[in-house]
Amino acid sequence: MLPSYLTVAAILFCIGLYGALVKRNAIIVLLSLELMLNAVNLNLVAFSKYGVVPSLTGQIFSLFTITVAAAEAAIGVAILFALFRLRGTVNVDEFDKMRR
Amino acid sequence: MSILNGLPILSFILLSPLVGLLVILLLPKERSSWMKTAAILTTLVPLALSLWLYAGYDKQQGGAGYEEQLSWVEVPLNKEFQNGVAEFVFKFQYSLGIDGISLPLVLLTALVTAMAALAAFHIKKRWKSFFVWFLLLEAGMLGVFLAQDVFLFFVFFEVTLVAMYFLIGIWGYFHRERAANQFLLYNGIGSAIMLLAFVLLVNTAGFRIEQAGEQASFIYSGSYADILRNMTDPAAWVNMSPEQLGGINPFQMTETMQWVLFIMLLVAFGIKLPIFPFHTWMLKVHTEAPPAVVMIHSGVLLKMGAYGLLRFGVLLFPEQAREWAVVLAALGVINILYGALLAFRQQEFKLVLAYSSISHMGIVLLGLAAFNELGMQGALFQLVSHGLISALLFLIVGSIHERTGTTELSELGGLARSMPFISGVLLTAGLASLGLPGLSGFIGEFLAFLGLFESMRWLTAAGVLGIILTAVYVLRAVLKITFGTQPEKYGALKDARLIEAIPMIVLLAFILLLGCYPSLLTDTVQNSVGTLFEPLFATRAGG
Amino acid sequence: MEMYSQAAWLIPLFPLAAFLVLTALGRSFRRAGVLIGTLGSLAAFVLSLFIVIDRLDANTVDYNYAFDWMKIGDYTLRIGFEVTNLTAMMLVVVTLVSFLVNVYSAGYMKNDERITVFYGYVSLFTFSMLGLVLSDNLLSLYIFWELVGVCSFLLVGFWYAKPKARAAAKKAFIVTRIGDAGLLLGILLLFWYMPGHALDFTTIQSVFDGQSGAITTGITTLIALLIFLGAVGKSGQFPLHVWLPDAMEGPTPISALIHAATMVAAGVFLIARTYDIFQDSAAAMETVAYIGGFTAIFAATIALAQNDIKRILAYSTVSQLGYMMMALGLGSLTGGVFHLFTHAFFKALLFLGAGSIIHAVHTQNIHEMGGLGAKMKVTAWTFAIGALALSGIPPLSGFWSKDMILTAAFETNPLLFFVGLAAAFCTALYMSRLFFLVFTGKPGAASSGAQESPVTMTLPLVVLAVPAVAAGFVETPWNGWFGSWLSGEAEAAHGSGVAIVASIAVGLLGIYVGWLVYGKGSVSRTALADRVPWLVKLLERSYYVDELYAVFVVKPLKLLGAILIVIDEYVIGGLVRLTGIATVSAGRLAARLQNGQVQTYSLAAVIGFVIIVIALVGRRFLP
Repeated sequence: MLPSYLTVAAILFCIGLYGALVKRNAIIVLLSLELMLNAVNLNLVAFSKYGVVPSLTGQIFSLFTITVAAAEAAIGVAILFALFRLRGTVNVDEFDKMRR
Repeated sequence: MSILNGLPILSFILLSPLVGLLVILLLPKERSSWMKTAAILTTLVPLALSLWLYAGYDKQQGGAGYEEQLSWVEVPLNKEFQNGVAEFVFKFQYSLGIDGISLPLVLLTALVTAMAALAAFHIKKRWKSFFVWFLLLEAGMLGVFLAQDVFLFFVFFEVTLVAMYFLIGIWGYFHRERAANQFLLYNGIGSAIMLLAFVLLVNTAGFRIEQAGEQASFIYSGSYADILRNMTDPAAWVNMSPEQLGGINPFQMTETMQWVLFIMLLVAFGIKLPIFPFHTWMLKVHTEAPPAVVMIHSGVLLKMGAYGLLRFGVLLFPEQAREWAVVLAALGVINILYGALLAFRQQEFKLVLAYSSISHMGIVLLGLAAFNELGMQGALFQLVSHGLISALLFLIVGSIHERTGTTELSELGGLARSMPFISGVLLTAGLASLGLPGLSGFIGEFLAFLGLFESMRWLTAAGVLGIILTAVYVLRAVLKITFGTQPEKYGALKDARLIEAIPMIVLLAFILLLGCYPSLLTDTVQNSVGTLFEPLFATRAGG
Repeated sequence: MEMYSQAAWLIPLFPLAAFLVLTALGRSFRRAGVLIGTLGSLAAFVLSLFIVIDRLDANTVDYNYAFDWMKIGDYTLRIGFEVTNLTAMMLVVVTLVSFLVNVYSAGYMKNDERITVFYGYVSLFTFSMLGLVLSDNLLSLYIFWELVGVCSFLLVGFWYAKPKARAAAKKAFIVTRIGDAGLLLGILLLFWYMPGHALDFTTIQSVFDGQSGAITTGITTLIALLIFLGAVGKSGQFPLHVWLPDAMEGPTPISALIHAATMVAAGVFLIARTYDIFQDSAAAMETVAYIGGFTAIFAATIALAQNDIKRILAYSTVSQLGYMMMALGLGSLTGGVFHLFTHAFFKALLFLGAGSIIHAVHTQNIHEMGGLGAKMKVTAWTFAIGALALSGIPPLSGFWSKDMILTAAFETNPLLFFVGLAAAFCTALYMSRLFFLVFTGKPGAASSGAQESPVTMTLPLVVLAVPAVAAGFVETPWNGWFGSWLSGEAEAAHGSGVAIVASIAVGLLGIYVGWLVYGKGSVSRTALADRVPWLVKLLERSYYVDELYAVFVVKPLKLLGAILIVIDEYVIGGLVRLTGIATVSAGRLAARLQNGQVQTYSLAAVIGFVIIVIALVGRRFLP
C-alpha cells in the first residue's frame, strides 16, 4: 500500500513544484506551494500508518504542518496584497526587486 | 647576548604594525597629524627590531634559534588507515623563521616602509583609512618574508594584494581605479596559479610521518622545511614506508609533475617580478599610485616575486631550475635590454623608472641563473639595492610632482637651479641606478655578471650591454630634469623640506654604505646561500 | 726604506676629506672652500713627492697592501694599494697638476656662485684618480675608473644650465661607458681564467710571463682587446674619441686637469699596468699600435681645421694619446709612459694658457683673437713653451718623448713611423697656426680690452713651464735612466740618427709652414680651402664621425625603441587587456542569471538538487 500513497504524494509534489516554478500569477504560485506542503503531509500520514515503526507521531506532525501552512498562506496572501497595492500587479515576472 | 633573548622577536616585528593599526583606528578621524605621527612611530618599531635582529644575527649559526611555531589549522582526513597509525591530518602552522635570505629583505621592508610613511605627507584625504591599509600592507610584506609555511605565506601574499588594491584605487592619480583593477586582476591570476601549485605541493611533498612509540601520525603540512627536505633529498622519500598507509602513496611526484609545478611557480612569481612579457600591469601602477605607495611597490613588492621565485621555484626544484638556467638567463637578458630600450623612449619620468625596474629585475634573474654563490649573492644584493634605489627615486618623484605638478620630461628642466638638494639626490640616485661603483647598484650587477659568466659567456656579454643602455636612459631622464635651462614658472620652487630630506638622506646613506662596504650584506647572506644552495650547486657539479 | 710608500694610502684621503668638508659646506664659505680644496691637493702632492724622492734609489721594492673586500664562498674580492715606480710617477703628475689647477681656479672661477661645489668636484676627482693610480688590482682600478668618469661627467656639465654642456656631459659619460663595458667583460674573463681568481697586478704579471701557458693565446688576446676597449673609451681613441672634444664645454681648468693631463691618460696607464697581458699577444699589440697610430694622424688632421681654441687642443690631446698608444703597441712601454709624463705637463700648461686667454677675451674663436702677445706677456711666453714642447722642438720635453716613440717605430714598423712623422708635422702646423693667430698679427674683434690674468692664474703657468722644458731630460738617447727606473731593468741605449733628424725636421717644417701662412701671411690662408673645399669641410666637421654615429647607432636605437613601444603597447599590453576583457565578459554572462526572479533561482536550485541526486545515485552503478 505504501508505494501508492507515496506515488500520489510524489505526483502532487511535482505538480506543486511545476506550478511554483512556472506559473506567472503569484496567487497560483502560492497555491502550488500549498500543494507541495500537502504532498508532504500525505507522506507523513502514510509513513505513520505503513512505515517501519508505525506511530501517531506522523499524524500529529501533519496537524502541525497544516497549521503552519495555514499561517503561511495567510501571511503570503497578506504580502501579496501589499505587493499588489504597491505594484498594481500579481505577475511574478515583474517582482524583480532582488536584482537591484 | 641580550635581555631580549628568548622573546618571540619575529612575531613582534610582524605584529607591531597591526598594533599601530589598531591605535590609529581608535584615533579621531579629523586629527590627521596624530595619525601621521602614530603611523610613522609605528613603522619605526619593526625597523628598530629588525635592525636589532640584523645586528645580532649569528652569521655562522644562520636562522636557527629564531623559529617560532604555533599550531593553527588542523583538518583530520577521513582516510582509511591501518592500525598503528594514530591520525591522518592536514596541519597548517603559524610558523615564522628567518635565514640569511629573508633577513635582509625584512630589514629592507621595514626601512622602505618607514621612509614611505615619512614621505606620505602628500596624502590629502582619508588619512585614517590610508594608514590602516598602509600598516596592513607592511604586516603583509613582513609576513611574506617571515613565513615558513606555504599556507601562511600565501595568506600574507594575498593581504598585500588587497591592501595595495585599495591604496592604489583610492589615493592614486587620475586613472587610479583602472590601475587598481588591472593590478588586482593580473596579480590575482598569479596568486591563483600559486595557490594551485601550493595545494599540489602540500598534497605531495608536504607529507611527513611523526613516530611516537608504536603509533605514527601521518601529516600533510605546509611546512616549508618539510617540503624542502622532501623535494631536495631523495632519501627522505624512500624512508617513508608506503605499506603503513594502506595502499595510499602520498608522495607521488613524477618528473612531469615537478616540471608542471616549477613552471606554475615561475609564472606565478614571474608576474610579480615581473618577467617579460608579464610586465605591463606594473606600468599603470607605477604611474597611477601615490608616490609613497610606489616606493613600497617598487621597493619591496617586486622583491616578493624574486624571493618567491628563489625560495619556491629554484630551491624546491633544483634540477628543473638547473635545466632551465639558460631560459632564466635569457629571460633576464631580455628583461634588461627590453626594459632599457623602452625606458630610453619614454616621455614620462615615472614610466622611465618603471621600465628601469624591469631592466634591473633582469639582473636578478641573471644572478639566479648563474647557479653559483656569486650569482646568488648578486641576485640578493641586487634585490636589496634596487629596493633602496627605486624607493629613493620614487620619493624624489613625489617631491618633484608635488612642486611642479607634472612628471612629463618635456615639461621639466633645469631644476638644479631652484632645488639643488633634490636635484643632487636625484643625480646620485640615478648614478646608483646605473651601477656606479661606490654605490650599491654596482655590487649586485657586478656579482651577478661575475657569477653568470662562469657558465654563460654570451648571455653575460649581452647583459653587460645593458649597462651602457642603462647609462643612456638614466642620464637622458635625470639630466633632462635637473640640467638645462629652467622654465620661468619653476623659478620660485622651494628645495626639500626637512621631512623630505630625512628619508632621502637615510636611503642614500644605506646605498652608499652598501656600495662601499658590501660585506655587511654578503656576509649575512653567505651562510644561508652556502647551506641552502648546496644541493643546487651539487646538481651543477654533477650535471 | 719604504716608509713613505707605506703611507701612500693617505694620499687619496686628503682630497677625499676635502671633498667631504666641501660637500658639507654647500655653497657657502666661498673663500674657505677654495682654501680647503687647495690644501687637500697640496698635502697629497707633498706626500707624493716624498714617496718619489724615497723611491729614486734604484733598489726600492714595490709596496703592496690589500684586504678582503667581499668574501663569497670560495671567492674573495680584494681591494688594496700598491706603490711601484710607475704609480709613484703618476702620483706626482696627478697631484702636481691637481694642485696647480686648484690654485688656478681660484682666479678663473672667482665669480662663479658655485665655486665651492666646483672645488668639491675637483677634490673628488683627485681622490678617484689617485685611487685609480694606487689600485693594486683590476677590480679596484675599475671602481675608481668609473668614479673618475663620473667626476669628469659632473665637471663637464658643471655649467648645467647650458644645454650644450648637458649634452656634452651625457655624451662623455655614455661613450666612455661603452669602453667601460668592455673593460668589465675583460675583468670577468680574467677572473675566471686566472688561477685562484686573482685580479691583482702582481699575479697577472707572473701568470702572463709569456711562457707559463696557463692561459691560451686566444683568450689572452681577447682579454687584452677588452681591456684595450676600456682604454679606447677613456683615452679618446678612435672610434670612441668623439666625447673628448665635446667635453671642452666644461670649465677650462677641468679640461687641463681631467681631459689633458690625468684622466684621459688613465687608458695609457691601464695598458702600462697590464702590459704583461698585452705582451703575451702579438695580435693585441698590433691592434693597439695601429689604433693608436691611426688616432694620432686622424685627430691631428682634424685639429688643423678647427677654430675653437679648446677644440684644437682637445684634438691635439686625442692625437697625442694616440701617440702613446702607438708606443705601447710597438713594445715601447717606456716611450708610452714617458710621453704620458711629459705630455701631462705641457698639455696642462697649454690648456691653462688657453683658459687665461679665454678669461681675457671671453671668446674661444681664434679668428676673433690676435695680437694678444703684447698684452699678455706671461701667458704668451709660457704658451709658446708649451706649443714648442708639443711640436717636438729640442730641447723641450716633448721632443725627447716623441723622439723615443718615433725611434721605436722606425726600428719596428716603418709604416707607423711615417704615420707618426705625418702626425708630428700636423701637430707643429696646427700649433703654429694657433699661436700666430692668437698672439701675433692685428688685434682681433675680441682682443681690444684684453689684459693679463691675475697672478693666481699666471703662477701655475710659470710653474708648469719648468717641467715642460726640463722633464725630458730624464730619458734621452744617451741616458736611459727613466726607462730603467720604471721597468727595473737597464735598457740598452737607443736612439737613431735618422729618427731624430726626421723628427726635428718635420717639427720645424710644420712651424715654418704655419708661420708662412698665419704669421707672415705670404701664403693665402684660404688657398687650400679654395682648391679643395670638400677636404677642409671634412676636417672642420671632424670627418663627420658624430653624424655617422647619429645615423648608424643613435637612430636605429631610437627606431628600435619606438618599435618596441608599439609592441609593448599593443601586443603585450593587448594580452593584459584580453585578460581584462575575458574576465569582464565572464562576469556579464554570470550576471545574466541574476535576474531577480525567485522562480529562476529556485529552478536553478532544483536543477542542482537533481544533479546531486543523480550523482549520488549514479555512483553506485560505477565500477
